[in-house]
Amino acid sequence: MGDARFVSLVGPSGSGKSSLLRAVIGLQQPLSGTIEIELARSQVGILFQDDALLPWKTARDNVALGLTFNGMERSRAFAEADAWLARLDLVGFGDRHPRRLSGGQRKRVALAQVLAMKPRLILMDEPFASLDAIMRARVVKDVVALVEREGISVLLVTHDLEEAISLSDEVYLLSQGPRAHITQHYPVPIPRPRDPVHSRTHPAFAPLYERLWADLSREVDQRVEAA
Amino acid sequence: MIGDPRYAWARQLAALAVLLAVWEAAGRADLLNPMYAPSPSRVAAALVELFSDGRIWPHLEATFAAALGGLALGIAVGIVLGVVAAGVRFVAELLEPVMTVLNAIPRVILAPLFVIWLGIGLASKIALAFILVAVLIFFTVFTGIRQVDRRLIERVVTLGGGRWALVRHVYLPSVAAWVLGNLKIAVGFAFTGACVGEFVAATHGLGYLLSFAQSTYNAALMFALILLILAVVLLIFGVAGRLEKYLLRWN
Repeated sequence: MGDARFVSLVGPSGSGKSSLLRAVIGLQQPLSGTIEIELARSQVGILFQDDALLPWKTARDNVALGLTFNGMERSRAFAEADAWLARLDLVGFGDRHPRRLSGGQRKRVALAQVLAMKPRLILMDEPFASLDAIMRARVVKDVVALVEREGISVLLVTHDLEEAISLSDEVYLLSQGPRAHITQHYPVPIPRPRDPVHSRTHPAFAPLYERLWADLSREVDQRVEAA
Repeated sequence: MIGDPRYAWARQLAALAVLLAVWEAAGRADLLNPMYAPSPSRVAAALVELFSDGRIWPHLEATFAAALGGLALGIAVGIVLGVVAAGVRFVAELLEPVMTVLNAIPRVILAPLFVIWLGIGLASKIALAFILVAVLIFFTVFTGIRQVDRRLIERVVTLGGGRWALVRHVYLPSVAAWVLGNLKIAVGFAFTGACVGEFVAATHGLGYLLSFAQSTYNAALMFALILLILAVVLLIFGVAGRLEKYLLRWN
């Protein structure tokens, strides 16, 4: 990833984007090759496509969970959790169970759960796909503001080219699997700090989108031909 | 209002009252043979008699002891076997076919066997209630553990949780939720086991009284006992429902 702050991986379905993230965090072994990472395990967080909150725990308990795993005292972990919930606009929701939260609120709790661990890198596996457009724009905006402020790097996997460009410093395109590899690499020249909605109107956005779209389409067509 | 869904209970109650009134009237007009279909007032009288001379209590006690004893044992053993089978492949290989067979047969057919093995006392009734409940809970726990939401496991692991954290925060609450979700069925099974066991051979219990009523052709007593068993099971259902609602309040 180099020094880039926010990197996106795009590519056709089956190019192994999610597998790559899972390998980075140690949920699965890479079939070949190695993962080089200079961070400790606890410095890497992952945000899944679904929130995967424990349904029997309140929002506060869910956020405090990782902290207590790493040896923090319960009362301190709860205080930290409340602070993160507050930062994510969830004041007063700490005692609710996930089932009593909206999709956007759950996503924020999941984000607080990861941020509370003070990660240096967050892996995101299409975390916004399940949200409706308005909620998605708002959560994404918060995520961008937080990672910019906290100096966290992000590796985002997404199908959504607009999302990839508007959020990232670099976009990587993966080829069609199996044995997918990175085919292209696109720096995004939109300055920071960014507003993810407004960066779509930046003059560099449209040409980059066109290029990415054309290259991605070519990858997908190759699969069709191969089949 | 007449069609208001909120008052469905009132209409149901009214229908029941009408049915009972017609039944009573038919009985008094000698349209029904009290030998087969005793009028509601006769059933009520039999019920009152059971309680007024106090002879019902030892029977209620026997049935409760058998059902609740079998329920507790069945849940405990079912959980332990389910957990071990889910965790140890060898145990699963041995237990699964046995449990599948036990699950497929109507387990009450084991009642006579238990009488031979354990006698006509409380033990054979507890054993029958136990076997009914234990097989149910075994499968609940066994399949439940194998179907634990992988995403939750991955979430806990990626937050730095170890083996013990997985047990405590994922497996234990999952198992508790499944067992509680089947608690009402287990209660029904436990009373079935107790009553059938008493029916087969016993000196006490509601099932024994039923069998006594049958042998003496006392239909009024039978109806009274059926009502009593119904009330008892509904009472326990209520308690189980409360417990379930409280412990699964996150759901």
